[in-house]
Amino acid sequence: MTTSTGALADRLRHLLGPDRLLEGDLARSLYSHDGSIVGGACGLVALPETTDEVAACMRLAHEAGVDVIPRGSGTGLTGGAVPLDGGLVMSLARMREMGDVDVANSCVWVQPGVLNLDVSTAVAHLGLHYAPDPSSQQACSIGGNVGTNAGGPHCLAYGVTVQHVLGVEMVRPDGEVVVLGGVAPDPPGYDLRGLVVGAEGTVGIVTRVLLRLTPLPPDVRTMLLDFLSVTEASAVVQAIIAAGVIPAALEMMDRNMTMAVEEFVHAGLPTDAAALLLVEVDGTAAEVDTATAVVERVARTHGVRTVRVAQDEDERALLWKARKTAFGAVARVKPSYYLHDCVVPRTRLVEVMAAIGEITAREGVMCLNVFHAGDGNLHPIIALDRSDPDETERAMRAGDQIVRACVALGGTLSGEHGIGVEKRDYMPLVFDHDDLAAQACVRRAFDPDGRMNPDKILPTGTRCGEVGLADTQVPEGTWI
Amino acid sequence: MDLRPDDREEMAETLRAATADGRIVDVRGGGLHSRRGRPFTPDDILHTHGLARIVDYVPDDMTITVEGGVAVGEVLRLASECGQGWPQAPSQPDATVGGVLAAAVSGRRRLRFGPIRDSLLEVVVATGDGRIVKGGGRTVKSVTGYDLPRLFTGSLGTLGVIVQATLRLWPLPIAERWFTARGEAADMVAMAQGVLGDLHRPTAVIVGPHAVHVCLTGVPEDVVPPAGMIEAAEPTGLVVPSDGGVATGIMEAGVPPASLPALARRLADDGRDYEAWMGTGICHVAVSTPADVAAVRDLATLHAGHAQVIDGDEALRGDPFGPAPAGADIMRRIRDAFDPAGILCPGRFAAAEAVPA
Repeated sequence: MTTSTGALADRLRHLLGPDRLLEGDLARSLYSHDGSIVGGACGLVALPETTDEVAACMRLAHEAGVDVIPRGSGTGLTGGAVPLDGGLVMSLARMREMGDVDVANSCVWVQPGVLNLDVSTAVAHLGLHYAPDPSSQQACSIGGNVGTNAGGPHCLAYGVTVQHVLGVEMVRPDGEVVVLGGVAPDPPGYDLRGLVVGAEGTVGIVTRVLLRLTPLPPDVRTMLLDFLSVTEASAVVQAIIAAGVIPAALEMMDRNMTMAVEEFVHAGLPTDAAALLLVEVDGTAAEVDTATAVVERVARTHGVRTVRVAQDEDERALLWKARKTAFGAVARVKPSYYLHDCVVPRTRLVEVMAAIGEITAREGVMCLNVFHAGDGNLHPIIALDRSDPDETERAMRAGDQIVRACVALGGTLSGEHGIGVEKRDYMPLVFDHDDLAAQACVRRAFDPDGRMNPDKILPTGTRCGEVGLADTQVPEGTWI
Repeated sequence: MDLRPDDREEMAETLRAATADGRIVDVRGGGLHSRRGRPFTPDDILHTHGLARIVDYVPDDMTITVEGGVAVGEVLRLASECGQGWPQAPSQPDATVGGVLAAAVSGRRRLRFGPIRDSLLEVVVATGDGRIVKGGGRTVKSVTGYDLPRLFTGSLGTLGVIVQATLRLWPLPIAERWFTARGEAADMVAMAQGVLGDLHRPTAVIVGPHAVHVCLTGVPEDVVPPAGMIEAAEPTGLVVPSDGGVATGIMEAGVPPASLPALARRLADDGRDYEAWMGTGICHVAVSTPADVAAVRDLATLHAGHAQVIDGDEALRGDPFGPAPAGADIMRRIRDAFDPAGILCPGRFAAAEAVPA
């Protein structure tokens, strides 16, 4: 610990009390990790409970010139919450209050530590829900969702987090509290709210989030389709959407994944199928009937083996449990896993699935696929035992080749997990020097000292460049 | 002087030269959204019509990549040939893609399909100092890097010129129809609230001074007239800039959606022309004097919202936006980085009170 963090520790302890400033080796070790395989070094861990406390902590960190790393539930998969080089981890996990639901405007302010699923549970009696539903929704926090612009199966039709965040309260790196956006749409000026969502904690600490709540659909139908080849299943994904149906969710699971999940959940999944599609359509009763008919027709013309329609809410819940526990089920195969969440244009699904198969076979690693097929958002999960250095090395190599294959097919690095540390150095695959410099400028506009979650998202050494205009040159009477 | 570059490189070169020479530039697409912000005096008008190529259209991916000067109507025409549409776009076929994005002009179907910013996947811009910068990605889902597409949506030409955009398209609905009823304002507001409460995801519920207009989208069984309404064409020009005063203009108010009925009733009482997009909080209001601008803004503020002049003679644009928003210093630093010489539409984002440096 440097002198500056030592002095900072004294002031933070005074502010929060000894129970809410973690300084011990065990805590610092725990907070050096998240859901990824990235490890770092944690200086101090603060556990604020109010916006005022966050602001006070930020002022102290600002004065001490210490890096700040915001953290939610720590379920992130790219190292976004990992402190790389000491610094102050600000855990928002204790900020779990949910405000009163504004029923008339269908929205609610929540603190960042509120868990994703708890929002939908709390508003269900009002006929509302919070649409983004990452598979980790029982554990991941709204603050983390905002940081990564999280997705989930139902984002195919409903859109990702940024489309459901009306406003944020954010503590800036110097401790000032601002509210960006709000319940009144389209405030004047640049859409800073839109920039904060997905910025992975590099522009400030979000301390309250105004979530848009969506009416529960009047009717919903969930179908499980199974196929004897991944290619057929991929073609059906394309064909359903080409037929004019955007399902609420359209998920694919390959055989390796199906076997791991079935052993775990016992949902009656056909473990001999090469690929399963979980298709959900919702809307009015007439919309659901029409969409169901299209899905069945398309599937039957593309070699579907069976079409299983969930007969009741219990069966529907079971099918979704099978989908959402998939990552956990990998633990039955190997102790750890490594994955990317690249996106490819939907028309390239067949090719990319073939490429993933070839790459993982060549590297001799086991790959389980479960992903958001409807929007081309892959999750090739490479199961591994990290105590085996050779297997780990092969898994890393396979992951690297998968990323490059996706980009070569016109894809991009991340659909919903974010860039963090893990994909940071791949950014030049999709952005050139000027693109990255522009992003660095945006970041610097929020955080001139570069102390917020440093060395995430942008490759080390990415600079905004020298900017010459002084504030005094802004025309009088204008704010931009 | 009118400048008409033919491609993005020429666009960037033109901006580099303007930066070097310190010439003030305004950007012009279809010219439908140019009467915005505080007036300034440009040395040059930079036209985007030379950038009118369809770069890539992959119907099966439901994405289209076009240059910024392509007309909205052209995108809709191409898309419709493949059974697709761009439901977030405004009904302004002659506006350009770059123009409606730069001005963040969402269409009336916003209630069901969301604002226009949600349809922009990737953007390529020429910055004020002539760099070509890309942000976002062409896939329908991406969290790869900072969200430059959302930054540029609504930037009103103050950060750069949108030279290319990749848009997410949607299947054309099996059925879409507009319905209408006429009557007293209070009854129309009540009828609109009834439709919002009774129907699952109506596409548009628009209230004017003497009418309500509802758009329904979906399967034919659901696209039937709401009680008391009859089928009609999509309304046009509900808010016509009044020529009764010293000038003509339109303001856009944004209030909490639940406050819109009260705002609409009040606007009706005041005898104003308006178009309230129920359920979204958006309301367009005709204005003809600076006093009108102040009065409409006061009303919006009273209802916990804001109001800006989105189209107006210069006389109406002395204070087009109202008070500076939170984070104005962040906005200023972003602008400094994209347009370091301050040549792009300087002064457009004006406020009643300047923010202290």
